[in-house]
Amino acid sequence: MVRYLLRRLPSAVAVLFAASVLIFAVLRVVPGDPASTLAGPDATPETIAAIRHDLGLDQPVIAQYLGWLGHVLTNDWGRSYLIGGQIADLVTAGLTNTLVLTGAALLLAIVGSVVAALLWVGVSSRALDAALTGFNTVALALPTFVTGVILVLVFGLLLPILPTGGVPPNGFLADPDIAVQYLILPAVCLALPASAGLTRFLAESLRTELAAPYVTTARAAGVSPRRLLVAHALPAALPTYLTALGIQAGSLLGGAVLVEAVFSWPGLGQLAAQAIDRRDYPVVQILLLLSVGVFVVIQLSTDLVHAYLDPRVRIGGLTCVLMSARSRCC
Amino acid sequence: MRVDVREEPVLLTSEPAATVAAGPATDAGPGRRRRWRALLRGRGLVGLVLLALLVLAGLLAPWLAPYPPNEQIPGANLLRPGPAHLLGTDHVNRDVFSRTLYGIRTDLVIVFVAVPIGAVIGTLAALLGTVVGFVDVALQRTFDVLLAFPTLIFAIGLTAVVGPGALTVIIVIAVLETPIFARLLRSSILKVRSLPYVETAEAIGAGRPWVLRRHILPNAAEPLGVQLALSLSLAVFVESAMSFLGIGVRPPQPSLGSLIADGIDYVDSNLGFVLGPLVVVVILVLSLQLIAQGLGATRRVNR
Repeated sequence: MVRYLLRRLPSAVAVLFAASVLIFAVLRVVPGDPASTLAGPDATPETIAAIRHDLGLDQPVIAQYLGWLGHVLTNDWGRSYLIGGQIADLVTAGLTNTLVLTGAALLLAIVGSVVAALLWVGVSSRALDAALTGFNTVALALPTFVTGVILVLVFGLLLPILPTGGVPPNGFLADPDIAVQYLILPAVCLALPASAGLTRFLAESLRTELAAPYVTTARAAGVSPRRLLVAHALPAALPTYLTALGIQAGSLLGGAVLVEAVFSWPGLGQLAAQAIDRRDYPVVQILLLLSVGVFVVIQLSTDLVHAYLDPRVRIGGLTCVLMSARSRCC
Repeated sequence: MRVDVREEPVLLTSEPAATVAAGPATDAGPGRRRRWRALLRGRGLVGLVLLALLVLAGLLAPWLAPYPPNEQIPGANLLRPGPAHLLGTDHVNRDVFSRTLYGIRTDLVIVFVAVPIGAVIGTLAALLGTVVGFVDVALQRTFDVLLAFPTLIFAIGLTAVVGPGALTVIIVIAVLETPIFARLLRSSILKVRSLPYVETAEAIGAGRPWVLRRHILPNAAEPLGVQLALSLSLAVFVESAMSFLGIGVRPPQPSLGSLIADGIDYVDSNLGFVLGPLVVVVILVLSLQLIAQGLGATRRVNR
């Protein structure tokens, strides 16, 4: 395992490094000078120069980049010019809310997709098949914010039983049952497309496993259909399911931006939208880097879990397994 | 010498191709026409009709709309839907039905400009990559980094640089679509390249450009049609999501996303304000998905 980790780590670090250079470089070419924006329209050239010196903007670009990277790595993220406050505080507050939301959505997506896929494959009923196919198509096709708006309309106007916006006033831990009420709608909205995609993926791999020779052998030996599905096909399908789950977890973070906007959930997405609106570039930089970091960590950990569950990956690498499944490699 | 080598496969390959076309496809014509014809059935047909209606609505917006999109009608504040205003009026006295029609127009223009740009750049990148080795490595790593950003995070980052607006939306969509098309075409070229008939053509001595153009591309390009429909629907989503977040099309120009974003604040006074554009986005996305499914089904039938 350690050796596998060591082999995967360099490319993860390389992606992070490239992304950090890209983010830094791109935000440097932004039209407009942050120093003169900050100083205001009536500032003298001396004031602007002083602010520029304070921000380190008078140094060579490479020195600026290294300085920024150093600060980011030592957890000193600096102050937000325009929103106000320490960037670290803003990000921590937003991150907590976003993580609670995506965590709940991920949980819903896992439970929903495993149950739906097992039903889909295990129960042969035309009505159920049609219902699941239709539901999946719609859930996958509808943009997240459209389902969100529909949920807000339904629960705001027709069935006012759940809060349709905001976070629980006393935090998540004080009153867990109230917190859950606030969480249900945004989490369901965020989980729907991920759950539908995962259901389709898991059902497909369960069907593939059920057609494999070892299942035929087990069936011939008298293993019950339910046991075949749950004890034989499901464990075999899990490793690839987890990889798909990792990819979905990444896209949940992107979807969270929209869900937060629809349900006025004060997470990182809201912070990002606010930072862009006010052109607060240091905040935008940190948020972009953070999202890439989270994405890379998710990918790396899914690869590790996959390697743990499937020894072939540890030896030959993931691509090798995928390739050898299809034709030749190794 | 090279000229001879290139001439030869023309004879060798045109012959089997002709027999294939005349063989199993006698009742349905050549493969390509059969593919389009199958699109005119079932889900594909439903999708095409819905899309055509929306495209017509967008094209004819200036004639269909009862009011100019930005005209403020005196005394008509947040009216409910009625005969005078089919979807009611908005918070600054504009006719929502007219704005929705113009919003369809905005969305369709953005989507049908941006996706083809991404598709063309992606195709060129894939071709360049499969021909020149080191370009391939460089492109794949670039795409890795690009795809490391979730769609909307990337959109937010780019908007921070370029500033919000319709052009930004087009750039975001084009940049998002480029790696999708490049990856798809690349993998499908690699797959086709290892098929026996391509090896045969190479063994006979056909030049690389010839093999690529005549033998690999026509077959490798097949999945691109489905992807095009899917990408258009993704693009509608990106446009409306960005406008919904307030980093897309700038007011007062109407777009479906910004109409929904405005409308959701006035649900109590005029429900039509949010429902109209919402239904249009749903129909637009679903119609493109249905077309993709139709094309995908056709492809499976062809196999």
